[in-house]
Amino acid sequence: MRLLSVTTALVCLALLSGANAEEKLSMSDADKAMYTEMLENNPAAMEVAEGEELFTSLIGQAAYAKMLGVKEKDLPKTIANFPRFVKPAGKVVTLSQTLQMAMADVGKPVLKLESKEVVKMTAYVKSLANGQKTSIDVKANPHMKEMMTLGQSVFEERRGGRGLSCNSCHSSDVIGQRLRMQPLPDLGAKETAAAGTWPAYRMTQSQMVTLDKRMQQCMKNALLAEIPLGSKEMVALEVYVTNKTKGNEIQIPGLKR
Amino acid sequence: MRKVILLAIAAFLNAADLSQVIESPDATAILKKDALSAAKAVTMIEGCISNEPAVIARGKYIFHNLNGKDAKENPPEGLTRLLPDGKEKQMGNCVACHNIEGAKGYGNIGPDLSNYKALYMDSGARNGQFVYQKIADPRVDNAKTHMTVNLTNGLFNEREVCDLASYVMATKK
Ligand code: HEC
Ligand code: HEC
Repeated sequence: MRLLSVTTALVCLALLSGANAEEKLSMSDADKAMYTEMLENNPAAMEVAEGEELFTSLIGQAAYAKMLGVKEKDLPKTIANFPRFVKPAGKVVTLSQTLQMAMADVGKPVLKLESKEVVKMTAYVKSLANGQKTSIDVKANPHMKEMMTLGQSVFEERRGGRGLSCNSCHSSDVIGQRLRMQPLPDLGAKETAAAGTWPAYRMTQSQMVTLDKRMQQCMKNALLAEIPLGSKEMVALEVYVTNKTKGNEIQIPGLKR
Repeated sequence: MRKVILLAIAAFLNAADLSQVIESPDATAILKKDALSAAKAVTMIEGCISNEPAVIARGKYIFHNLNGKDAKENPPEGLTRLLPDGKEKQMGNCVACHNIEGAKGYGNIGPDLSNYKALYMDSGARNGQFVYQKIADPRVDNAKTHMTVNLTNGLFNEREVCDLASYVMATKK
């Protein structure tokens, strides 16, 4: 599994370094070395560690578990189940949103979803579930069912400057074909494991990125207006995309092109 | 006594309700503004398809570039890198999905458009109006198409769609 994603990433790296279509399967030794080095030593591991520090000083696992209404030892299992309906939220939320709830619950100022702190803490909290399989349940309750339906319609709606939808590039019939020189990833495949591998370090951006932010980047590239983080539609997209990779193992931080 | 219980319940509800602190902006207006109008059949204007070098040059430029800002070469006569309001002008980026003569780093989501004139036009399989409609709004001919919409959403004007159609249909090299 790892091998597959390495190959994809190597191909992508080759493209990045300005190789033309004919040369696209080759890459410089320097690029190869960089990718291998990063696999062993993911630069985002440091951000996850910083997330741990922040989380421990701001919230702590005990308070977090209590806010979610679960036992501390059940946190990994619970985290693997996100996005999900959470009682004190009254709706389906993402992990990042539960951090906002927890900050308020312990009387701390609530930081923005966009903030470095929330991104790092999200990565840390999700890493508590490393090794677990994503277990989102889109039929768990009417809230989840509604969000799954909404997510699918947002995913399939053509809009924006070029009239494209997420589905234009991520439907099953175009997977593996090339947009420019980039192979279109199967969001549900084991080697992509989209839901289990974000937040991930994006080598092209030299920073750690969350899944919702990654989806905003696709919107921007394809001239779709960016759906704001935390909005019902964005959470619904995360539900829909996460469900595509249900059962894949969580490995945070991921490493992406 | 009753008052105490009510107060206790209120306090409990307050403590448990964290819905108001979650960042949850309303995206409805953004999505509404971004919506695409229904598929629309269009007829090409008089003199749309042309062999004029200037027309072909514009079509070629729109076909191979993503936008005016990132384009390596300067645009040919009749095209600009920026729009009057100072924003970058979007190009077609058709090469992201289609191979064609001289394409660099092309994708293959759409059919190969190389040798289009001989294969599709001279054989009678296609005509100018078909190509024009396909580029203007491909949903008319295929509701589930993965291709971009280019005219009916205002990305390009009629002349630019004619430039693209002329380029696709022209004999090259
Ligand atoms: C014009 C084509 C296009 C459109 C439209 C598009 N994507 Fe993508 N998407 C891509 C490509 C290409 C990649 C892989 C790029 C790479 O390797 O970095 C990608 C990657 C992704 C990934 C990361 C997969 C991983 O590695 O885990 C997610 C998630 C994603 N897209 C979701 C979306 C969503 C949601 C939308 C709609 C809002 C969307 N995409 C629209 C082309 C597109
Ligand atoms: C995101 C992918 C994508 C992009 C970008 C794209 N196309 Fe297409 N194109 C397709 C697909 C897929 C088809 C196959 C027919 C269909 O689904 O409508 C197609 C079909 C065509 C055809 C019809 C070929 C035939 O005779 O059957 C023409 C002509 C064409 N495209 C021109 C263009 C031009 C010009 C542009 C840029 C303005 C463009 N395309 C951009 C995907 C794309």
